[in-house]
Amino acid sequence: MVGVGFRREFAGEMISGEHIRPDFIEFAPENWMNIGGYWKKVLHQVVEKYPVLCHGLSLSIGSPEELNREFLQYIKTFLNEYKVQLYSEHLSYSKCDNAHMYDLLPIPFRMDAVKHISTRIQQVQDYLQRPLVMEIVSYYTPVAAEMSEVDFIKEVVKQSGCQLLLDVNNIYVNAFNHQYDAKAFIQQLPLNKVAYIHMAGHEQVAPDLIIDTHGEPIIDPVYDLFEWTLQHLQPVPVLLERDFNIPEMAELQGELSRLKSICHKQWKLKDELVA
Amino acid sequence: MNLLPDTYHIQQTFSAYCRTGESVTLPGVAPDRLKHYRRLVFNMINDTMEGAFPIAFKNIPARKWNRMVKDFFSHHACQSYQVWKLPLEFYTYAVEHNWEDEYQLPYLNDLLAFEWAEMEVYNMEDITADAYTLTGDWLDTPLVLNPEHRLLSFSYPVHLLAKPKELLRSKGVYFVLLYRHPETGNVEFTDLSPWLAFLTEQLVLGITVRDILDYAPQLNITETDTLEQDTLDFLKHMQQQHFVLGFQS
Repeated sequence: MVGVGFRREFAGEMISGEHIRPDFIEFAPENWMNIGGYWKKVLHQVVEKYPVLCHGLSLSIGSPEELNREFLQYIKTFLNEYKVQLYSEHLSYSKCDNAHMYDLLPIPFRMDAVKHISTRIQQVQDYLQRPLVMEIVSYYTPVAAEMSEVDFIKEVVKQSGCQLLLDVNNIYVNAFNHQYDAKAFIQQLPLNKVAYIHMAGHEQVAPDLIIDTHGEPIIDPVYDLFEWTLQHLQPVPVLLERDFNIPEMAELQGELSRLKSICHKQWKLKDELVA
Repeated sequence: MNLLPDTYHIQQTFSAYCRTGESVTLPGVAPDRLKHYRRLVFNMINDTMEGAFPIAFKNIPARKWNRMVKDFFSHHACQSYQVWKLPLEFYTYAVEHNWEDEYQLPYLNDLLAFEWAEMEVYNMEDITADAYTLTGDWLDTPLVLNPEHRLLSFSYPVHLLAKPKELLRSKGVYFVLLYRHPETGNVEFTDLSPWLAFLTEQLVLGITVRDILDYAPQLNITETDTLEQDTLDFLKHMQQQHFVLGFQS
């Protein structure tokens, strides 16, 4: 299954299905909860047409403070109401000192943070009665790290029992920004825990820095890394993210088709080998 | 909580930097990389406010606008986990901190209130109207109004005029009704006289038009010859506009 991030900018095209036809859609509950009027009607139309996965923004699993129970209650209701098949979030924090930041801040790679986050993930999973799929986020600087990024992630997965969202572009971005080998990094991950893949474009803003913008087409080296990655994974849903500089639907459909073709090639081959 | 105080403090310092842009030293953090977090976070807040308050953004000099957004984000702990609701906090912050005087923009509160109301009414959760019929007695049957509305009062006609100089010359008492069209979902707004604003407010409470008309002399409305007919004409017009839905059944 290859899906696309649902955005208001191309809601009409998604509903008509004329120029773009993903296998599923993904959206952030925070952008659609407690909404009425025109967009609620649109949301109902699109969820009638496509299976839905949700990717949250405001859980802030890495926050030092308590989880927001009221927010979790809304999330639970929303996920059930729209029959959401998978709920993912970010391995980062976006709220601190009781203030939302609306962006993904990097968590210090430390063992106490691992324990803190793992406890919170378990609390969320228990409350929602579903597994939480945590995205490995892109980051531009490590912060007071006492362990490697990959060890940090492995420990969180081990201690919390969460699943992973592998954003292949994020791994490419991080490998570039922090000068490590993306394939070696991926190989060290608990790949049997990967439940979902994201793919997106990025922007290089300095000779040594890439920002994860979701505003450009996916570049070939990221497609290559994606194809290599699939060889090490069981089939999982794959999502194309495009949040800015929205192109013509034909271009997005072209990216979807390319992703689908790679999935088909790699996972079909794997099935044949298993058989 | 499993976090050690040191880790907690590092996270606080990092996020405080994102909010204020005031330089910090954090172990292992490259300053030239850190600045991108401030840029990305601040741009998100600024873009949200620009999108929510397009007229204010256009009218207010860029330096003032920038100072407002920085002030707000640095000192206010944003509470909404839905970013589209954040402009309400910006508006509230402006009122609480008397920005009208501080920035010498006497119409600012009215303008922010109007622009936020448009966004709020457009996005607000659906509200089911009371049961109604399409025919009834305009004077004696309580009317059912479209519940997806806001009635606002202003000192400056921000719903009618855009140019700051014109606004400043037009200080007075203004009322505006915003409502969401049940079919298109678009937000419509209409300027109301003080009488029609009073009428609308009372109709919401379920009071009949006749009882409201009886109250007119107490509002110092002395020229009542055409008041009833004008009032009914307005209500019939608003029925065509899908604000008056019908008669209580």
